[in-house]
Amino acid sequence: MFEKRSIGLALVLPAALFVALGFLLPVGLLLAESFRTPAGWSLAYFTTFFADPLNQAVFLRTLRLGLTVTAVCLVVGYAAALAITGLGPAARGRFVGVLILPLMISPVARTYAWVVILGRTGLLNVLVLKLGLSDEPLRILFTETAVFLGLVQLFFPLAVLPLLSALENLPADVVPAARVLGASWLRVFWQIILPLTREGLVVGGTLVFVGSLTAYITPAMLGGSKVLMLETLLYQRVSVANDFVSAGVISVILIVMSIATNVLLRRLAAGRRAGGAHA
Amino acid sequence: MRSLGSVLLALVMLFLLGPFVVIVIAGLSSGETLAFPPPGLSLRWVAKVFEVESFRAAFGVSMLLGVGATLVALVLGVPAAYALDRYKVPGGEAVRSIVTAPIIVPGIIVGLALLRFLLVPLGLPVMLGLFLGHTALLIPYAVRIVSASLNNLRVDIEEAAILLGASRAGAFFRIVLPNIRSGIVAAFILGFVTSFNQVPVSLFLSGPGVTTLPIEMLSYMEFNYDPSVAALSALLALLSLAVVVVAERLLGLSRYV
Amino acid sequence: MSDPRFLSLEALTLAYGGSVAVDKLDLAVRRGELIALLGPSGCGKTTTMRAIAGLMEPAGGRIVLDGRDITRVPANKREIGLVFQSYALFPHMSVYDNVAFGLRLRRVEAGELDRRARAAIASVGLTGFEARVPKALSGGQQQRVALARSIVVEPRLLLLDEPLSNLDARLRLEMRSELRRLQRELGITMIYVTHDQAEALALADRIVVMRAGRIEQMGAPEEIYERPASGFVARFMGFENTFGLEGGRLTGSAGAVAYASAVPAGTRALAWRPQGIALGQGAYQGRVLGASYLGQTVEYLLDTSLGPIKAETPAAQTRYANGDTVPFDLPLATAAPLAQP
Repeated sequence: MFEKRSIGLALVLPAALFVALGFLLPVGLLLAESFRTPAGWSLAYFTTFFADPLNQAVFLRTLRLGLTVTAVCLVVGYAAALAITGLGPAARGRFVGVLILPLMISPVARTYAWVVILGRTGLLNVLVLKLGLSDEPLRILFTETAVFLGLVQLFFPLAVLPLLSALENLPADVVPAARVLGASWLRVFWQIILPLTREGLVVGGTLVFVGSLTAYITPAMLGGSKVLMLETLLYQRVSVANDFVSAGVISVILIVMSIATNVLLRRLAAGRRAGGAHA
Repeated sequence: MRSLGSVLLALVMLFLLGPFVVIVIAGLSSGETLAFPPPGLSLRWVAKVFEVESFRAAFGVSMLLGVGATLVALVLGVPAAYALDRYKVPGGEAVRSIVTAPIIVPGIIVGLALLRFLLVPLGLPVMLGLFLGHTALLIPYAVRIVSASLNNLRVDIEEAAILLGASRAGAFFRIVLPNIRSGIVAAFILGFVTSFNQVPVSLFLSGPGVTTLPIEMLSYMEFNYDPSVAALSALLALLSLAVVVVAERLLGLSRYV
Repeated sequence: MSDPRFLSLEALTLAYGGSVAVDKLDLAVRRGELIALLGPSGCGKTTTMRAIAGLMEPAGGRIVLDGRDITRVPANKREIGLVFQSYALFPHMSVYDNVAFGLRLRRVEAGELDRRARAAIASVGLTGFEARVPKALSGGQQQRVALARSIVVEPRLLLLDEPLSNLDARLRLEMRSELRRLQRELGITMIYVTHDQAEALALADRIVVMRAGRIEQMGAPEEIYERPASGFVARFMGFENTFGLEGGRLTGSAGAVAYASAVPAGTRALAWRPQGIALGQGAYQGRVLGASYLGQTVEYLLDTSLGPIKAETPAAQTRYANGDTVPFDLPLATAAPLAQP
């Protein structure tokens, strides 16, 4: 019935051609260009790029923000997911709604709220001055802290949703069974719940980490030119200096890091699972 | 333990939703510049949003782009998802990787690559560039969501329809399509929202006179510090809220996110 | 029962994922006949049925229906009905729309369409359920809708793929007789695929036992049940004790014993049902390893010099305990002589 390869091919071909010609080809050319120096194929552009202290700083900052944002989202997200699973189904539905709603709202609008909160005449500074915690407004906007806050708010739902579904898919009786056998709550968490929800952690962690590495709007609006991340640096290099070489190098770095994170974390999850069978 | 959880969830809600309350209030300010709390409340900046010509033009571009790119992505993506799910496609896994590749490439790179290697060399118009970039980005969403719906649908009902006399196409339109309709509607809504909110892909692809709304907001706030962007942000947030609530009621959108 | 070759499969060969699933199958079906394709899973029975329906392209051979070669005719032009194991009802349509689907495709005029759809629904006893959707029906009711949907278009041939396997035991018996009644009333030719020999025996005019893509034996239910042609069919029909026969000796897994009775020429093995073994007297001896009380009868597992033997006796007869040594006989009268073990 569905063996006719020609029909299958005819149905996927338009989409595959569209993506191949309108997407893969230009992106491939852009990436290839970063390895083609006047002297031939080499990594010269990369060594030049990383020789610049500013670029190094931006690269390290991007990594640092990615790691801290991911860690905070996973730890707080795990606690939140545990708390949500403890609620009844109605309350649970409302919380899932609260988590999904921000994902649907324009990131520009979401991030602009932080400009209002963190700005010189914003909510936070009004509170700080009123309470006498400081004599002059704090400079929070256009600092790494502002970018960190914006990213955590942006990606928090992406960490919680996979954790929530992992916790809900726990086999129904394992926790009571372990409790009956006399395990303490902490022991149950470390030895049963955490290992069984590892996949949720990996999925959520990947989404948040890759999302943070490749964020544009948050660093652009809350960090500005003082707190550059890789994507804002890329945009700046092109729009200010027409520097397509650096832009290409950053593109390669971003894509390699995204793919490597996906592959590594998936391996990690799979490897641990296979290893667990022997333990 | 329980009360600790409740406190945590209250804080999480405050952190996730508080900023939206702030932006709505800021947008209703009567003051000249952005400040919180505002000196008074008024609708002047909400009204201003509708008067700014560049916002109106950008809104039109974003709507056109969102609807057009999502429709084309579905027209290409639905048959692709169907073929990958049902038929033996030569090199099936490779083809699936190709079709879903755009999701793993950061948008800003897509925009830059299209600008440099497609639009400039071929002299294509700005709108077409935006359309290509957005459609490529949305095809993976369309394929994934429709694939998920198809996975939940038995294959043998199509065979039953064919044995009763339907053609392959007839079985698809009369039997398959009605049963994956909610998946397709969900894909349309998510696709439209993704395109409408999209910034990185559009950054390099927007051009003189043809700008999407979020890009226009970014450039407006570079030179203006009045509350109109806050008012516009509040409007967009409320619009999204309406879409999410309606979509959730109608088809349980949360299953597809 | 005219037209002995209403449907014929000629050297039908079917390949599935590179391996041959059905190998040069020949089969002729009479008009109005109910044929059961019987065999374990993987024997090729479902594949054969799908090929007849046109859901699968044969690698070789021909399918001829009513004098016309339909091997290359697309499935939607064959006018062959199929009742799926899963019923495959259209989930978004009511019972009525499911049944009317085929009629609408044939552009049957509105009045006649309504009359025929309602008649088909009535014939499976579902009048009053027209507006329900499949999800709101029980398994048995869904099965009836699937049947009504297939017969309403008056197919030239109706195929049924294990149609009763998802029903509970009581419903299965009920549907079995109802299927038979419908088949008689409509005079429709049916091919019934099943792995349940009791179902095949009760329903079919003729049983085709399949094994590994070939026909192992074909015949009336009585013939298959009483005179299996091979060890495979014999075991399938409940002859659980099968022994090789050579030079007046029976050979089992543990050893051989002398067997004096004169057997038909060409017999290379003998097989007995548990009921066919006579306990309490005879030339052979066995030790009782276990006994299961089955109500009407008791089933014993005996350790003999041939190997383990299963014997069944009426519960009213002498009962034996584990460890008892019991004489038994292997009467030729209850044996199935097999040409191949």
